[in-house]
Amino acid sequence: MNFANSLAVGIREIWSHKFRSFLTMLGVILGVASLLSTFALTDGMAKASREYMTQMGGVERVNVIAQEVPQEQLLLADTSRGRTVEDAELIQRAAKHVSLVTPWYTQFVPLVRKSERLRAYIYGVWPDYVPINRHTVEFGRNITQTDLDEGRAVCVIGTRVIEQLWPEKPNAKPLGETLTINGKPFKIIGIFQLYENEDNRIARLKGKKPVLTTRKGKSYNPYTTKNTAVIIPLTTFYYEYRAANIVGVVDQGPIPKLDGLTIQATDPEHVQDAIDEVSSLLTQTHRGVDDFTFDTRQELAESIEKTAHNTRLTGGLIAGISLIVGGIGITNIMLASITERIREIGVRRAVGAKSGHIFTQILVESTVVGIIGGVLGLVAALGMTHLIKFTTDGASLPVIQTASVALSFGFAVLIGVLSGIYPAWTASRIAPIEALRYG
Amino acid sequence: MALIELREVTKRYRVGEQEIRALDGIDLTIEQGEYAAIIGPSGSGKSTLMHLLGCLDTPTTGKVVIDGVDVSSATDGRLAEMRNEKIGFVFQSFNLLGKFNVLENVELPMIYTGVSKKERRDRAIAAVERVGLMDRAKNTPLQLSGGQMQRVAIARALVNDPKIVFADEPTGNLDSTTGASILQLFRELSEQGRTIVLVTHDSEIADNAPRRIEIRDGKIVNRAAGFQSGIHTPPPPTA
Ligand SMILES: Nc1ncnc2c1ncn2[C@@H]1O[C@H](COP(=O)(O)OP(=O)(O)OP(=O)(O)O)[C@@H](O)[C@H]1O
Ligand SMILES: [Mg+2]
Repeated sequence: MNFANSLAVGIREIWSHKFRSFLTMLGVILGVASLLSTFALTDGMAKASREYMTQMGGVERVNVIAQEVPQEQLLLADTSRGRTVEDAELIQRAAKHVSLVTPWYTQFVPLVRKSERLRAYIYGVWPDYVPINRHTVEFGRNITQTDLDEGRAVCVIGTRVIEQLWPEKPNAKPLGETLTINGKPFKIIGIFQLYENEDNRIARLKGKKPVLTTRKGKSYNPYTTKNTAVIIPLTTFYYEYRAANIVGVVDQGPIPKLDGLTIQATDPEHVQDAIDEVSSLLTQTHRGVDDFTFDTRQELAESIEKTAHNTRLTGGLIAGISLIVGGIGITNIMLASITERIREIGVRRAVGAKSGHIFTQILVESTVVGIIGGVLGLVAALGMTHLIKFTTDGASLPVIQTASVALSFGFAVLIGVLSGIYPAWTASRIAPIEALRYG
Repeated sequence: MALIELREVTKRYRVGEQEIRALDGIDLTIEQGEYAAIIGPSGSGKSTLMHLLGCLDTPTTGKVVIDGVDVSSATDGRLAEMRNEKIGFVFQSFNLLGKFNVLENVELPMIYTGVSKKERRDRAIAAVERVGLMDRAKNTPLQLSGGQMQRVAIARALVNDPKIVFADEPTGNLDSTTGASILQLFRELSEQGRTIVLVTHDSEIADNAPRRIEIRDGKIVNRAAGFQSGIHTPPPPTA
């Protein structure tokens, strides 16, 4: 007997008991749907995390952060000046595995334009700050060495700053205009691009509303902080906020201590080398005082992958169990259906079916149940993930990968085949005359 | 060589402690082209005998040769091939597949022969025409009368052009008029040269067949009355 015929008979058998077949498939449908949804959600979360991490500077970005001096060095602590611009200059000169470096200061200050006000963190930085933090100046230009040398009152600002301060025309490109930062006018020389996740960007380019919307219907963007960036030259910042430190009426003198020092390793493989170099350089300038340490994204990156892997595994296991339960359901129904169709088996045997033919017929039938259940499960998963897209206000949209679809569907088919083996074997073992005598 | 030859065939069933001798030393020869009726009371072993002749079962002891093939100890697969190529069955309860229409039911044996779809359809149509049911070709068995169902069963038995057609009480579920028309069909098939073995407990029905094989308690009890052809069964063993 040809395979096509078994298939036709199997489909007819399933179709003739539509409701029962659907119930039989339900386990497989739910199993596949939850398997694929789990994969989609996990992949979505991992993708969003990776995307976000890249936007924040990737694994190459390392912060040199201050730490408390250990107990035994307390007496020495005064000999170190902490992180300074000199440190940054030394790193720039001497660290082979560091490609970019920026010292920075920051302060939370009022920004004013006409009657509009916004409070935000401004950063005093070197030009490298922009590439290290994956910023892109879309209009105008970045801060330059000349700006630093002359301590110019210039700034580069993010799109959200414009949205907030130019509410009448949020898409304005106010290059050359003046922004009052903490009471002092700054000339806008550059505007950063709009930062957003991929799904949002695609939706916006297609002219649609952003995919990510809050329940209030307002556009939501997980990159708000990045879009609110305001940077000015480090030197300008220093003169404005750090050169004098007036407590009461007494000037305590300048504060050269940096708020931050950020480097970028030449590539992800040399992050540790870069850290080692910087560490030995700073140990000299800090006179052996252990008042700094490193904050890397490596652990975050690893934990993203690990979390994704674990969620995949746990969810996959639970979904897999429900698929197996679905398979047991198929076995059960197939056994019942064989008892029901024993006469048919007898007739087929009488006209020349071999036991192998009967085996194939039952196995094909359970496989078809698995396949149809698998397809319906995939459709259900698509529906579910689509629904999530519309209800979520989080950053991570589910991502359906071809491999996940193939894996979920393949598992359903496998379950269909496996669950048919025992019933098929039972059916094929019934002697022709026993089957004919029955009923 | 005869088409069917049985030598000292026994079929025993064991039910608990008890042994049932369904067939007890059968010697039988049926020639190509014969029309024979196996007759006997209920429980005498008619169906058991037919199952052996029809390769649905194998004997406990003895030898069964069908068309030159010793099927007494053949494998399950070989028996299936014999049934498929050389044997057609007609049952008392028709045994049609309820979910399939007339043509599909008639096509069934050819599916296991590996006949192409087109040829299957052509041959099924020819067989259904032969039994005069072409106008019901797309009906399912439930939409047919008993007599029509039995005609479909006969068409199915004939579609692979078998050497022998076995019919176990083919008129048992039919009224006398319908039964008579089915028997008429068998007579025509016989006249066309087909070997037919009819199983019945009814002497009148058995009269349709030129040869009568009477069976009682698993033994053949007398020579057939009336017309006989070819070599005959030996005299029944005296108890
Ligand atoms: N599978 C079996 N197990 C036990 N005994 C059996 C089996 N099949 C048949 N028999 C016994 O063998 C004997 C012959 O049965 P068989 O079916 O051949 O009779 P029959 O002549 O066809 O009767 P009927 O006219 O009622 O159909 C009976 O006594 C029956 O009980
Ligand atoms: Mg019987």
